[in-house]
Amino acid sequence: MARYGMVIDLDRCTGCRACVEACKVENNTPRGSFWMHVFRFEEGEFPNTRVWFMPRPCMHCDNPPCAKVCPVGARYKRDDGLVATDWKRCIGCRYCEVACPYGVNCFNWKSPEKNYYLDWQDPELTARTNGAIPPYKNPDLEGRYGPEQRHVAGGGHLKGVMEKCTFCVHRVEKGLSPACVANCPLFALHFGDLDDPDSNVSRLLREKRSFRLLEELDTQPRVHYVGSGHAPGAEARQIEHVKGRI
Amino acid sequence: MKTTRRTFLKGAAGGLLASRLLGGKLETLTAAPAPAAEAAGEAWVPTTCWIGKQDCGMLARRVNGRLVKLEGNPIHPRNLGTLCPKGMAQIMAVYDPNRLKTPLIRTNEKGVPGQWRQASWDEALSLVAKTLREVRARDPRRLVWQKGRSKASAFYDTAFVKATGATKLHHGAFCSDAGYRACEYTIGLHGVLHPDFRHTRYLLAWGWNLTGAGGNKLCWITWPQQMTAARERGMKIAVIDPRLRGAGPFADRWLPIRPATDLALALALCAEVVRRGAIDRDYLRKHTNAPFLVQPDGYFLRRDGKEQVWDTGSGAPQPYDAPQGQPALEGTFTYEGQILKPAFQVLKEHLAQYSPEWAASICGVPSDHIYWLAQDLIEHAMLGSTVVVDGIPLPYRPVAIMAYHVAQQELGFQLTRALLLLMMLLGSIEAVGGQRIDFTWKLHENFKKLDEIEIKDPPYNIYLKDSKFFPINSNNSALVAKVMQDPAKYGVDTLPEMAIVHMANPVLSFGSKPDIIEGYKKFKFVVVIDAWLSETADLFADVVLPAATLEKYEGPLSATDQYTDAVALRLPPMAPLYQARGEIDIYLDLCEKAELLYGKGGYLDHLNQALKLKGPYALPLDQKPAVRDIFDRWAKSQGLKEGIAYFEKHGVWVKGSIPAKKYYGYAQEPPFGGIRHRLYGESLLRYRDTMRAKGAAEIYWRDYTPLPTWRQPTMEGSPAQYDLYLISYKLIEFKQSRSSFIPLLAELAPEQRLDINPRTARARGIADGDEVWVESHNAVTGETRRVKVRARYTEAIRPDTVGMPHHYGMWVHPWAKGQGPAASELFFTGEGYVANTADQSFHVKVRVYRA
Repeated sequence: MARYGMVIDLDRCTGCRACVEACKVENNTPRGSFWMHVFRFEEGEFPNTRVWFMPRPCMHCDNPPCAKVCPVGARYKRDDGLVATDWKRCIGCRYCEVACPYGVNCFNWKSPEKNYYLDWQDPELTARTNGAIPPYKNPDLEGRYGPEQRHVAGGGHLKGVMEKCTFCVHRVEKGLSPACVANCPLFALHFGDLDDPDSNVSRLLREKRSFRLLEELDTQPRVHYVGSGHAPGAEARQIEHVKGRI
Repeated sequence: MKTTRRTFLKGAAGGLLASRLLGGKLETLTAAPAPAAEAAGEAWVPTTCWIGKQDCGMLARRVNGRLVKLEGNPIHPRNLGTLCPKGMAQIMAVYDPNRLKTPLIRTNEKGVPGQWRQASWDEALSLVAKTLREVRARDPRRLVWQKGRSKASAFYDTAFVKATGATKLHHGAFCSDAGYRACEYTIGLHGVLHPDFRHTRYLLAWGWNLTGAGGNKLCWITWPQQMTAARERGMKIAVIDPRLRGAGPFADRWLPIRPATDLALALALCAEVVRRGAIDRDYLRKHTNAPFLVQPDGYFLRRDGKEQVWDTGSGAPQPYDAPQGQPALEGTFTYEGQILKPAFQVLKEHLAQYSPEWAASICGVPSDHIYWLAQDLIEHAMLGSTVVVDGIPLPYRPVAIMAYHVAQQELGFQLTRALLLLMMLLGSIEAVGGQRIDFTWKLHENFKKLDEIEIKDPPYNIYLKDSKFFPINSNNSALVAKVMQDPAKYGVDTLPEMAIVHMANPVLSFGSKPDIIEGYKKFKFVVVIDAWLSETADLFADVVLPAATLEKYEGPLSATDQYTDAVALRLPPMAPLYQARGEIDIYLDLCEKAELLYGKGGYLDHLNQALKLKGPYALPLDQKPAVRDIFDRWAKSQGLKEGIAYFEKHGVWVKGSIPAKKYYGYAQEPPFGGIRHRLYGESLLRYRDTMRAKGAAEIYWRDYTPLPTWRQPTMEGSPAQYDLYLISYKLIEFKQSRSSFIPLLAELAPEQRLDINPRTARARGIADGDEVWVESHNAVTGETRRVKVRARYTEAIRPDTVGMPHHYGMWVHPWAKGQGPAASELFFTGEGYVANTADQSFHVKVRVYRA
């Protein structure tokens, strides 16, 4: 069976955050919640300054610390490489958030209808959208996925539930790339079967030098970075930091 | 009609595959096969992005009539199946409950936030039509149509403006029009500067547009896609900008130039190229006016009305188009007692004053770096080489400049002329890998028009067309606001009374906000057509008409990426929300009510001309058509048998590759259609003399020089305490004033900021994140303006420069509140802060201190 992974070409990333927006729209994530994030960094001093960018989805580790600490088995590793969250089973203990060294978990502190940016309870609008919140609500997120038929596509972003990047499991099972990958205007993001030597991702890993984030922790991330870049060190200063207005 | 994404893609398989491969991305997923049938009630329908300027193709995922997502249309050449952050987030704007829902009529005085009553379309349009008729009857000059972005120019800029007789005001003088005028005048092409990315080997990225938002003709995705592909081929990039952020990691060299000194650097590069003799003599001799003989008075020698060149064989002047002879480029000749020099010789002597050392002190960069740039350019220009494209041997000069918003500075017209001169000297204009301006070789009418301007005596029209102040004139709305405040000063005797504002928010989007506000106070009747209540509407509209966002018909829209010929339409993926309507519907109804729709000279007649609808495709002049029907006729008249159904299925009509014969000016027969590029701008000298004779002050005529000539920018006259330069730029998250309130985007870039070098900040006791005052000073009038904003440290900016993006400052939408001020509050307009072409400058001296 295919075992998926992502390859991110830092030589192509312009830091535009279109992937972030594609993720937010596809997955209807609430305000302040970023399953995909793009760091913007600056290094050095004027005029020897370097500006560079690094997208960061969930690493979908092969040795996922988050899954190990989940007391209810809501966070688990799938056979196809995805690290999934069953939003119906999650009890909101946030152990996974503490365990993850990459900071990819987002906890829903608010109920979704109160956390979708705008007040959508507009009679003229709801008449056209059957009251969907947000109005562009993706019907695929509620479904059951995988051979286990579990609720792992984000669902309704319920209060008290932990969420993170799903690698767009609902798209992948339809044969589509994750939303961020499909939308990257610079084709910097790639997704495919890392076990297949002929896949695009395997080929890229052969052709270009690569690294993974925090490899020393033996988390074995399935997200690889290629290109002339490097993992951000102490010299990388974050610019244009996104906090959201929560 | 129902199309699933799957069948849609199947139908377009050839194009999709080709484009994805070109984009370097082809991923075959090996997931479990998808369900046999898509969910009931689901469809993917093509439409076109509404936010940006390049109209990317989109597929809207529609589930039971509800739009769920907008994705890029894979067959659209401009975006290859992807969208920028704005395009992606746009779906939230489409459904925004804060959109205008009904027409509104003002119930309170103007100049303060509006109070409104909802009106029916019939009432609102009747009121607008009545005023329009009344104003037109008195004097059509009293009506202006102000656009920001027009997305169906045949319907709006042409037919509506012609049918009403309105004076059209643009937004270009705040964008890159100084560059447009220079390119039209010098080369004859309509555009600014971009490379032939498939072949360019060395690129000067001048200004912040490389990966920052905005670019020549296109707003974003296409250029970075072509740029990254070119870099993977080995193209090198030198970035010339006070800030590095616009180029990000894609700069092989960064020259952090002092703001507004770009002309000095361009002239020094020209001088170094000439000094080293790295010039394309063949091009200069055959295709430019470089060999034309210039008299001591600066004008060309003419005999029988024809320009002359010096024939080295016979040692005498001969007409430039004489079939034989070897025209001299250099030398000084005496003929009939008159000293004559070829224009190139004049240029060479002119450039002698502009050494790299001279430029280094002005531009604040080491002279070594200027030498390196010149060396890089000369090395990569491959002078003398040719290459065969589509069977045509063409000059190969793979060096080019990418320059867009940088044109908008006080010396912007002459700066762009100097950039063109540099590329002309190297022979790169329209050569393979060389300098591009338009998508194809298409001689623009302004090549002739801008050479033959008849400067008139007052009275002038509202934007001072053909005036002694700005004979070449980009139609600057901020300057119009200045004229509205003091018409006598500018020889204007008739002020407009009624304004129709179309997809524009002048109060915030244009330069010099205080001037715009004063100008708009003079309008007696303002109609705003917009999807949101804009700040301009809030302060000044009498009537507000709610426009649809992307849920409407618009076009035809060019879809070319410069290598593929394609055209698209904007199609409504659903009915307009609320009571909003597409602008074309609005204009049809408005014209009908104003008795301007039917018959000869009416809106429909002008539409037929603008869309070239003839014979069976022509709209009958006595009945109001449905908008879909107009586009159906247009599509059929273009040779698409299916008519609009073709676009409803595919979204875009991809016609195929643009052949070299259409693309390269060099590939024309004769090359460039036989015109001579204007190395030497003789008519600029003529304008200067006429302006002086008509009594215009020096500040207006001083930059009308036949060759680009450096002078200190006016802002340098500000007192020493205004020790920093303020520059501005756009963020990739936002497009003009159409997006900073879209919550998904505002979340990424929540508030205004002042980019400041930590050294500069610390010297003033300013910590990262502190609130500061930025105070600008007008060196001509002494006026000062200030705004409060948060300082953000960055090492990617010159220590003598601070930067602010061009967004924010809005106050109507709940998500726009508290974002901080617009940069347009700090920039001045008028003398010293506009170019000689009336183009707005976005440079000013400021001081920054803790709030």
